[in-house]
Amino acid sequence: MDNRNDTYYIEQVLEGKINAFSYLVDRHKDKAYNLAFRICGNREEAEEIAQDAFIKAYRSLRNFRNKSSFSTWLFRIVYNTSISLVRSRKKGVLAIEEFPADAVDFLGINRNEEEAVEDYRNSLINFALQKISEDDRGLITLYYYDDLDTEEISKITGISKSGIKVRLFRARKKMADIIAKVEQKNVFYHE
Amino acid sequence: MFFTMNKKEQYEEDLLRKFINPERIEKAPEGFTSRTLARIQIEAQSSVLKKGFFFKNRLPLISAAITTGFIIIALLIPASNKGSGSSTAWQYIRNLEITLPQISNDYLHNLSLPGWVSYAVTALFLLVVFDRALFVFFHKGNNP
Repeated sequence: MDNRNDTYYIEQVLEGKINAFSYLVDRHKDKAYNLAFRICGNREEAEEIAQDAFIKAYRSLRNFRNKSSFSTWLFRIVYNTSISLVRSRKKGVLAIEEFPADAVDFLGINRNEEEAVEDYRNSLINFALQKISEDDRGLITLYYYDDLDTEEISKITGISKSGIKVRLFRARKKMADIIAKVEQKNVFYHE
Repeated sequence: MFFTMNKKEQYEEDLLRKFINPERIEKAPEGFTSRTLARIQIEAQSSVLKKGFFFKNRLPLISAAITTGFIIIALLIPASNKGSGSSTAWQYIRNLEITLPQISNDYLHNLSLPGWVSYAVTALFLLVVFDRALFVFFHKGNNP
């Protein structure tokens, strides 16, 4: 990966070198995809959302004013697109009531225990995320996965900093309760 | 941490931190960049086609405007420079003392053509020249 900053590639794209945009896509695709996936909970939709976000960003690149970083701007598009999609299909989806597996189920033949535990934890987090509102899923992802502070999250989501603190507090509590319940039932899993 | 937590909140925070591994983000599927770029290439091509009516039809529109100008001039300024109109526009144009040049068609000995045909042919010729000039001007950036 090239070490030049995003602004350099944005200028290149604006000069008509479309291929320079691939550096921006490469640099931000995983976090954009992760945010979309954690909010919508579906890999195909997450890819569609992340691609759409990059295309929207490309279309509006001329309007990008460097007031925030490119990633903040991109994440805002991903966040809003994901939430719109989840809201539009809300009635048609049946949520899973019980977490359907335990750590042992993640132990494949050729896998070590550490990987299985990681998979189990990741799945449990995804399960818990689907139990909170779509906005809160975005907040949790941005705060825990992307390690962003409340000011940056506020720029992305449009929610005030105090609002983010309150929502994070509630979302964390709800997710912790769900995880704790599953953990209590899960007799096979030991720290 | 952004605010002081009590024991329960700290437990919840620790639990989430234990379960959420920031290094284990869901990675974009293989080929994501090339697929996205392919969509952008299509977007870039179609955006040229999607440009507005006036942009797409700028050449005929400019040509039509020039033609209209010619027709208006031809109607308002007869070769004799004697108009019957009394509008301000006509007065202004007459004061400019512009007349269309006399075009002779004496070289067409065996043909009896109305006088306006010479003007029409000249106008047509000028339009073709304008059209080519505008085409070259607006397309000069498209060639490598």
